[in-house]
Amino acid sequence: MNRISEIFLKELVVEFRQKYALGGIFLFSATIVFLVYKVFNQVSGLEWSIMLWIITLFAGLNAIVKSFVQEKKETYLYYYSLFNPLELITAKLIYNVLFLGLLFISILIFMSLFLGFPVKDPFLFFLGSSLGLTGIAIILTFVSLIANSEQSGSTLMSVLSIPLILPIMMLLLKITAVSLRLISDTSVDQDVWMLAGIDAIMLGTVIVLFPLLWRS
Amino acid sequence: MNSKSIRHYLLLNITWIMLCILPLTSQAQGLDFLRSTGKIYTVVVVIAIIFIGLAIYLIRLDNKLTKLENHIKNEQ
Amino acid sequence: MIQKGMWWKLSGIIIFLYVLWGGLTIPLRPGITSITPSSAKTGDTVTLKATGYNTHFASVKKGRAWLKLDSIHAIKSLDWQSTDDNHVSLRFVLPQTLPNASEVFPLHLIIDNETDGAFVHPNALFLSSSIETLSFDAIPWTKHELSQFNDHQGIQFPYRSILNETIRNTFFHVALWFAMFLLLIFGVYYSIQYLRTADYDFDRKASAYTNIAVLYGIFGIVTGSVWAKFTWNTFWTNDVKLNMTAIALLIYLAYIILRGMNYDQDKRARLAAIYNIFAFIALIPLVFVIPRMTDSLHPGNGGNPALGGEDLDHTLRMFFYPSIIALFLIGKWIAELTIRFERVKDYFYLKNT
Repeated sequence: MNRISEIFLKELVVEFRQKYALGGIFLFSATIVFLVYKVFNQVSGLEWSIMLWIITLFAGLNAIVKSFVQEKKETYLYYYSLFNPLELITAKLIYNVLFLGLLFISILIFMSLFLGFPVKDPFLFFLGSSLGLTGIAIILTFVSLIANSEQSGSTLMSVLSIPLILPIMMLLLKITAVSLRLISDTSVDQDVWMLAGIDAIMLGTVIVLFPLLWRS
Repeated sequence: MNSKSIRHYLLLNITWIMLCILPLTSQAQGLDFLRSTGKIYTVVVVIAIIFIGLAIYLIRLDNKLTKLENHIKNEQ
Repeated sequence: MIQKGMWWKLSGIIIFLYVLWGGLTIPLRPGITSITPSSAKTGDTVTLKATGYNTHFASVKKGRAWLKLDSIHAIKSLDWQSTDDNHVSLRFVLPQTLPNASEVFPLHLIIDNETDGAFVHPNALFLSSSIETLSFDAIPWTKHELSQFNDHQGIQFPYRSILNETIRNTFFHVALWFAMFLLLIFGVYYSIQYLRTADYDFDRKASAYTNIAVLYGIFGIVTGSVWAKFTWNTFWTNDVKLNMTAIALLIYLAYIILRGMNYDQDKRARLAAIYNIFAFIALIPLVFVIPRMTDSLHPGNGGNPALGGEDLDHTLRMFFYPSIIALFLIGKWIAELTIRFERVKDYFYLKNT
């Protein structure tokens, strides 16, 4: 547990040392939101939810690509001698989930400033969002591990991860639409459970497969 | 397989299959033909697609084999 | 002449020929394609002109027909006049009252004769009550005994009004998906074997099986699209099952791209194996769980019966399961050819360097 928090803190320190890159991602999301605001002026609930998730997806993709690609081969060798893989992946996952959550909240704040906050059922909205973000973070972490060892890492990353994220995205859009009262659906609980189930399956798979991946 | 040959392969498959269906479906006449006698020709088209697809795959494999054979022949 | 290990390849071909023969030659059960008029009022005497498909009305000696309202209320036709094999006119005297005071009732037409057997055309006639003619001396709905039906002879596939002959696509389009899944399972099995043993041959096998499965997936999408055009009248609908299979294909195309990267052999094999396992696990909710939750045009969704029940009766089963096996064996054969080719290629290049 101690070591997990150590790695977690180290990630945090590394991230904040590169203030430009970090600031760049937040600036990117703010700019996109402003652009959307200037183009549309007034958005409907449907457009709002789609914009929110598309911006989150691409900002998250950029951010997590960076988090693994930035590290050198030697650093990896050093980690390998220091930590066991389970601790490392847990710390990475926690860090990425929290980072994606922070990114999402900042995008949400920008969106509310410029375009309003049309959510009618905040509990459902935040529950669905947190589950969906967890799933997206797990998949992005896993795929960035596969793609990181390559020169063409970022293209490969989007090719590999976007199809895997699509089902989560579809469930998320549906849950968001329900929480915005755009559609009424009595079986939305099922969607939330589904999302939680997908998260659990993905998490289990990543934990099982990571040690194998780590060996290289 | 490198990425270029994958692209080639996908493109080949898709264009071939499209080429096979398009003449049958793009004209109203073709549509009526496929709807006649209880739409039995739709089944024929489906079987033809499977057969043509498999044939394309096998032709590609055949070409790759020929290339390898030529390599081996040159070596000797 | 016949080499060892040839038997399953030959049996794949033979089973496929059996499916082709049976799937294309066995006739459909008789059914009704259209009926005029489609609506009537209580108290009328209507003459229904029914157009049949695969029927033999002309040679019928004793034909009977009923209009059925529910399990107890039905009326029998007065006569049976067939002009040819596929056309028959039936005269019905409709009762003047309806069992309860709803506005429009759908009536089902049941036809029974000694050559075609008995068959039902649901929602044949929509009956609305004409309040003006309501009187107490109306002809009551008879509680007919619908019994002593004739059986149809021989094996016949069920008749579905929109599907018609395309119900035979069950053996080709639907079986293709099942065969694809079997091949994917083999691919994942070999990926796991690779990770356990680090024997490069397992990577070749996993890749070949996944490739042929993706090819089957592309066939599935294209054939499904053609089938949809002539039944649902569109190449692509917003149906969940279609979207989910499209996503599944994208995931596996990403696998092929990953496998095609120019890494060193060992690393590429390991990454591909890991991604393959991950993709397969991601596929399970995609194809089996999510589509069941939402409405779909496919059977087995949104309250429709799944494979089984009426949609896949025993005559279809006789060819559906063999077709899965045949397509799987053919896929396995082609995968095996690819594996052998790759093996020879790698051996040759290894020897030369």
